[in-house]
Amino acid sequence: MERQARATILPFDPEASQLRVGLEIHQQLATSTKLFCPCPIVKSDELPLSFERRLRPTQSELGQIDPAAVFEFNKGRVNLYKWNPESACLVDADEEPPHPPNMEAIETAILMAQVLGSGVVDEVHVMRKLVIDGSNTSGFQRTAIIALGGALPVDGVSVGVQTITVEEDSSRVLKEGAQAREYALDRLGVPLIEIALDHVVGVPEHVEAVALSLGRSLRSTGRVARGQGTIRQDLNVSLLGGQVVEVKGVQKLNLIAKVVRYEATRQMGLVKIAEEVKKRGITEVECKAEDATAVMRGTSSPVLKRILQKGGVVTCIAVADFAGLLGLEPFPSIRLGKELAEIARTNGLGGVIHSDEFVKQGISEEESVALRAVTGYDSNAGLVLVAGESAERVETVAGLVVERLRKTPIGVLGETRAATDDGETRYQRPRPGAARMYPETDIPEIVVTEEWKRSLRMAMPVSWKEKVAAYSKRYSLSEEAALQLYDSDNSKLFEELAAKLRLEPSVIASILVETPVRLSREGVDESKVTPEALTSVLVAVDGGRFAKEAAVDVLRAIGKGDARDVDEAVSKLGLTGMSDEELGKIIDGVLKRNKPLIEEKGDRAFSVLMGEVMKLARGKVDGKKVSKLLRRGLDEGR
Amino acid sequence: MSGLSGYRGPSAKILTEAGASIGDVLEVQTGGESVTGTLVPRYEHNDDSHIVIKLKNGYNVGISVEKVSKVVRVAKGEAPKFVTPEKVASKGLPRVSILGTGGTIASRVDYRTGAVSPATTAEELYSLFPELSGIASITPEIVLSVYSENLEPKHWETIAKRVSEVVAEGVSGIILTMGTDTMGYTAAALSFALRGLPVPLFIVGSQRSSDRPSSDAFLNLIGAATMAVQADFAGVYVVMHADSSDERLAVHLGTRVRKNHTSARDAFESMGVEPVGYWSRQGIQVTEREAPPPRGEAEGFAAMPNFDPRVALVKFYPSMPDGYLGAILGSGLRGVVFEGTGLGHINSKNIDQVKKFVNGGGVVCMTSQCLWGRVDMNVYDTGRDLLKAGVVPLEDMLPETALAKLMWALANCKSADETRAVMQENLAGEITPRSVQRR
Ligand SMILES: [Zn+2]
Repeated sequence: MERQARATILPFDPEASQLRVGLEIHQQLATSTKLFCPCPIVKSDELPLSFERRLRPTQSELGQIDPAAVFEFNKGRVNLYKWNPESACLVDADEEPPHPPNMEAIETAILMAQVLGSGVVDEVHVMRKLVIDGSNTSGFQRTAIIALGGALPVDGVSVGVQTITVEEDSSRVLKEGAQAREYALDRLGVPLIEIALDHVVGVPEHVEAVALSLGRSLRSTGRVARGQGTIRQDLNVSLLGGQVVEVKGVQKLNLIAKVVRYEATRQMGLVKIAEEVKKRGITEVECKAEDATAVMRGTSSPVLKRILQKGGVVTCIAVADFAGLLGLEPFPSIRLGKELAEIARTNGLGGVIHSDEFVKQGISEEESVALRAVTGYDSNAGLVLVAGESAERVETVAGLVVERLRKTPIGVLGETRAATDDGETRYQRPRPGAARMYPETDIPEIVVTEEWKRSLRMAMPVSWKEKVAAYSKRYSLSEEAALQLYDSDNSKLFEELAAKLRLEPSVIASILVETPVRLSREGVDESKVTPEALTSVLVAVDGGRFAKEAAVDVLRAIGKGDARDVDEAVSKLGLTGMSDEELGKIIDGVLKRNKPLIEEKGDRAFSVLMGEVMKLARGKVDGKKVSKLLRRGLDEGR
Repeated sequence: MSGLSGYRGPSAKILTEAGASIGDVLEVQTGGESVTGTLVPRYEHNDDSHIVIKLKNGYNVGISVEKVSKVVRVAKGEAPKFVTPEKVASKGLPRVSILGTGGTIASRVDYRTGAVSPATTAEELYSLFPELSGIASITPEIVLSVYSENLEPKHWETIAKRVSEVVAEGVSGIILTMGTDTMGYTAAALSFALRGLPVPLFIVGSQRSSDRPSSDAFLNLIGAATMAVQADFAGVYVVMHADSSDERLAVHLGTRVRKNHTSARDAFESMGVEPVGYWSRQGIQVTEREAPPPRGEAEGFAAMPNFDPRVALVKFYPSMPDGYLGAILGSGLRGVVFEGTGLGHINSKNIDQVKKFVNGGGVVCMTSQCLWGRVDMNVYDTGRDLLKAGVVPLEDMLPETALAKLMWALANCKSADETRAVMQENLAGEITPRSVQRR
């Protein structure tokens, strides 16, 4: 069965493809309460209360219903919302009108507009933007434009700003099932600032650089939330002349280039498949779906067998002259079959099986012949099997698959996709029509006076570039280290500790920035390496309890849960310091053992000796001190 | 929409000069910049110094008139051409009448200007609620167009009269849609005016506006329509969400229902009794209480639609000035319902004022502001003195129900004594002789 393949690095020529990417950044603000209610912003681990809702598609002005909305409603989905009174209230449950907006959030957006040179609107109008996938209990997201226009400078080029908006965050997805979706209300209503940029043309890495620069500008306000999941990027990706694909929810900055590269390659692949379709002289794709449950009754395909044993059904879709097209890979892992499988998965089935992979899936030649007989198509036709336990679901998916196949000659389809953690994109739903918005009548308009803007201009943040330069100068850090520090979540902590401790700022910076990264690469839970843990480790190093080299071991022990705190880690790792006397003994021993080497190499033996002493001291002493004492010993020994 | 709805003063002036109307596409120039979009209406409570433009991306922004250097009308607005939904044939299905009184159970949003308009025809209702066409043959009509808080006894009369006509035309059931503010009062009033109603009448509304995809209106309407066809009982009921979920509706007896929350879906509760039943997509589940009256014959049914509005509902509170009570009693009223303290008391110093009003032909009834429980005026001296003064104790009748009943009784009884007797008689489940539910 077509399943999600592992991510691969793909060949891709951005020059030839004329890649265009529009970037939308959604950044959580560090306000103490939500945007339209006084709930505190906390993540709830326990969600004791719940309710269920069904959201109905609403009509447009023309009496039509949005295709994306119909898509959702047809799935007959029930949304289950779970909540905890510590992090949500009746406003979040759509049981109470919104309270007046959190003005701190509005102010942050105005500040950001001033940073980017955007024109702040004179009167802010909160709108209801229809979103009926269930992520908002009301069926709409409250959002308001704060400013228009402006520019973001990136590497000497200026990228235009379209809009700066303030909006409420959606509910946190707990579980996504075919019939029901589960959400947590703790994140719903948290204020976000959304900045939409003009599209950029160029290589994926450039898009990433733009996002990085925008992220830094946002952080320069000092009013944005930090940490995992507080920033999300949406990308509108298209090739020259092609439809726009909306890729939602890239959570990590360093995934942007990879996601863009994947999506662009996928789009180029679909264009190539469409060219192949045309080459075969197909202008209109001919499809026919037939029930194939009886034919497959005795199959040895493990997947189908399991479904049929549970009383499931199989539908076979024949596509005229498509043999070989479903498994065609113009680029590694880009196939039409995979697109179909994603549609099936989004709609509650495990995937699809197509004729180009029949052998691999254990479908025999006889079965293949029988399937063709049932559909009345010859061996030039491609076959797609849709199977599942619910006949209704299979019918829905088969309909969607047929619809998708008919659109193959178009190439790229405008749709909404989700970014995956490994840098690919996955089908989510058809692209919604033009955003449908109407005024949020429960919230009065906010007049932005000149006086208000003037007072905020006084609070204008120092630009991130200046801040990084100041860091580097003030703490004698390399520019790279200063930038790393600025980008990390711990820059504020650094400033505090640099003022308090006697340690070199570069040492503090390296422990604060590099250690968490290193541990996270090793698979240690990042969230366990807390600012508190980092602080207590640095204080211990500062007090000479153990060497700075051992800091990573202590933090690892805490991060892995092997030790509760620094004290426990120190005793478990045997880091209980070392007296000068003990160290002297070690050095004497090393010098004695290596006498021939010292005689032969003189000063050049130093690094070898140093290494040996450090190994024996096992991080209990500072390298500088060892170096000093060893040097003395070496000189004395002569 | 045309004209300059909501604009006045400087903003209206600058728009008039540009020849602009609501819905037109305008280019508004401010210094070196300009914004292009659709002119949308302004609310009357807004100031007169901003112009509101809906941008192409759907957002509204307000532009200060002071900054505007020029307004250019780029294109004339075209009213959206609403595609009338195809007529859905639901012939052969039982007839259900939907009477609208002002609350919007179904609405359509004009996303161009943001205006929300109610759906009023059967076709519109079918297009918004496709399920309806499989449930009943709907005949919607607008009886009144009044906000719930503005409804008065004369409106109850209009509704009651129209209901009896509709019953005579032959329907399986009736749905009354209204705003929720005074729904409890209306339900009580109709329970008396429509005694002996041979079909069920379900009063529905929405606590969360019907323009939102999450509105409770959808389920309330679908549930009421289904019951209007399927229920084997008759009478006046309020049908609203039983809890926060879109799952179960509670069917409340019209005389025992109260709005107990300002905004939540499950604001309506049966007081002192269980709801008559619950509805879900699985069906109607009648609770184990006194069985609701069965359906009857349309023939022979006659409404008693008259109400006398000269009644006051007075909540007694500590330090109520004598002059305040005196002013009420002396304002030409024919009846007063007290929401007394505890078992049914008011300050003993006011008893003489009450006695004078009763002796002058007025009817005074006592309910409790506790809402839960029964008045008993034999326990304390003050209660006994009030009884002696001629005050009628109304057992566990809800204060709002008592108000509606007294208005109705005064309009339909020949004397104060007869009115007092009727008030103490259980006519529509407004008095439960046995207290079973604690709370
Ligand atoms: Zn809240």
